Amino acid sequence: MRALGRQGRTGLALLAVITAAAVYGLLLPDSAGTARIGEPYAPPGPGLPLGADDLGRSLLDQLLVGAATSLGLGFLVALVVTALAAVIGGAAAIGPRWLSSLIMRSIDVMLILPELILFILAAAFLGQSFGIRVAILVVLMWPVPARVLRAGMLTAWSRGHLEVARAMGAPRWWLLLRHGSYLIGPLLIPVFVRAAMRAILYDATLSFLGLGDPTAPSWGTTLYWVQVNGVFLSEAWVWWALPPGLAITLSVLALALIGTAVEERLNPALKEVPA
Amino acid sequence: MRRILEYGAVVVIALLLNFLLPRALPGGPMKLFGSPEALSRLTEAERAQIAQQYGFGRPLPEQFADYLTGVFTLDLGTSLSDGRPVAEAIGEALPWTLLLVGTSIVITCVLGVALGVLGALRRRRGGGAGLLGTAIVLDSLPAFWLGMLLIVVFGVQLNVLPTYGAGTLAHLVLPVTTLVVTGLGYFFLYTRSSMLTVLTSEPVQHAHARGVPYGRLVRRHALRPALLPVHTIVLMEIGFLAGGSIVIETVFAYPGLGRLTFGAISARDYPLMQGAFLVLTLMVVAMNAIADATYPLLDPRARQ
Repeated sequence: MRALGRQGRTGLALLAVITAAAVYGLLLPDSAGTARIGEPYAPPGPGLPLGADDLGRSLLDQLLVGAATSLGLGFLVALVVTALAAVIGGAAAIGPRWLSSLIMRSIDVMLILPELILFILAAAFLGQSFGIRVAILVVLMWPVPARVLRAGMLTAWSRGHLEVARAMGAPRWWLLLRHGSYLIGPLLIPVFVRAAMRAILYDATLSFLGLGDPTAPSWGTTLYWVQVNGVFLSEAWVWWALPPGLAITLSVLALALIGTAVEERLNPALKEVPA
Repeated sequence: MRRILEYGAVVVIALLLNFLLPRALPGGPMKLFGSPEALSRLTEAERAQIAQQYGFGRPLPEQFADYLTGVFTLDLGTSLSDGRPVAEAIGEALPWTLLLVGTSIVITCVLGVALGVLGALRRRRGGGAGLLGTAIVLDSLPAFWLGMLLIVVFGVQLNVLPTYGAGTLAHLVLPVTTLVVTGLGYFFLYTRSSMLTVLTSEPVQHAHARGVPYGRLVRRHALRPALLPVHTIVLMEIGFLAGGSIVIETVFAYPGLGRLTFGAISARDYPLMQGAFLVLTLMVVAMNAIADATYPLLDPRARQ
């Protein structure tokens, strides 16, 4: 913990709070955030700490359930992206030459394509269920991490002890796992964190455009209704528009702080610059 | 040469995606022609006629050839919601988006580089840490939410800037600010880390040891190599800002391609959606190509 510095610890604390909210959101009954339990446009009051939306649905419940959806999707996407990037990046690092150049060329091509635009396009045509959104995000997001991990694996591969081990003739992937994993493992953390960040932001953007799952409350969907109803013209924006936006910002911020802290720790050179 | 092939591949992929995704729609491409309720009112004969007219029954390669002909002759079909030719609607909206995205890219690049270099040089002082913290926060803000907040503050509470539409310079202020502020963080962080890496590099350390004055060290020895990798970020930024324009134009009711796209999504106007996405993607690819082509001006090593 201490190793992460003040920044990293702040990030971890923030993330812990949001995760707690998400767990609480998971424990709420299924109807939370979708059932009409108050007057439409009710201001905050007893039973409705953040008031109600245009259909009388509790905004606090939407916020809590949204935390579970957002973090769940973010972590799931990040997990799959990191695993995929490790395999593809590894193949590009130690695989046969043709495979390596095929992968690197594909990455270059993918980098030119605009992610967010394709994400919206794919969601508009393929549907908006949780699984489909995760799949689309994974397909669009693997290239950058794969390139980062390939570079890391190439560095590990050129280390002296690996060269010695290579001379003994074990399979290459076994060598990388057995003798290189302590070098590569820590690289996975910032990759995971960054993927989670982007997934959360992209997914919120998608829901904000009205392309989210309409049956599940989420931060982006709440903000979609803010936009549709022109809420910011009234004072309701304070309890309707502020909390979900803050929730998105703080989740992404928490992850960014952790990511930056881990990166600084992995690359101490960043600290020793003549000022 | 390799880059040209890559761009070719990108354009082919963009065209393929645009062609295949509607055909992968659950319910088939017939859904292109209206809501499920409207479709269920059609008789079997009418369905057959539509399928016949648009050639859905024919083999895919043949349909693709037709689609390509349409794209290259700028015949993108007609919008379902107002019956206008898609190409015409896009032609009207495109200049507005180019204005918005172009302005934002230039401001983001200039400001991002300047602040990034400053952040690297002032790394150990209060100002530098403040810049870094601010950049991380800005990078976390969802663009659409920031746009809403700006509307609340400058449009509704202070009532000093127009919050929707386009036409005057004042109309550009809020959307451009939103795009710049949300795009700046990443740019800053990357420039800063690139600058820091160069400052620790051997040539720069050597110059430092030779007694080159600090200002000259930074200007002559560090700045240029540090800015080279930033070029990659410009490419990513272009894609990011163009994607962001869909969101931002929606928030500010700005009459560009982004809002057209959003309107098409909401109305399930698939031909318009398809055309708008194609043009947006091609716009990003073209901007990338321009940024790529100018790279040798920066880096003499890339001129061979």
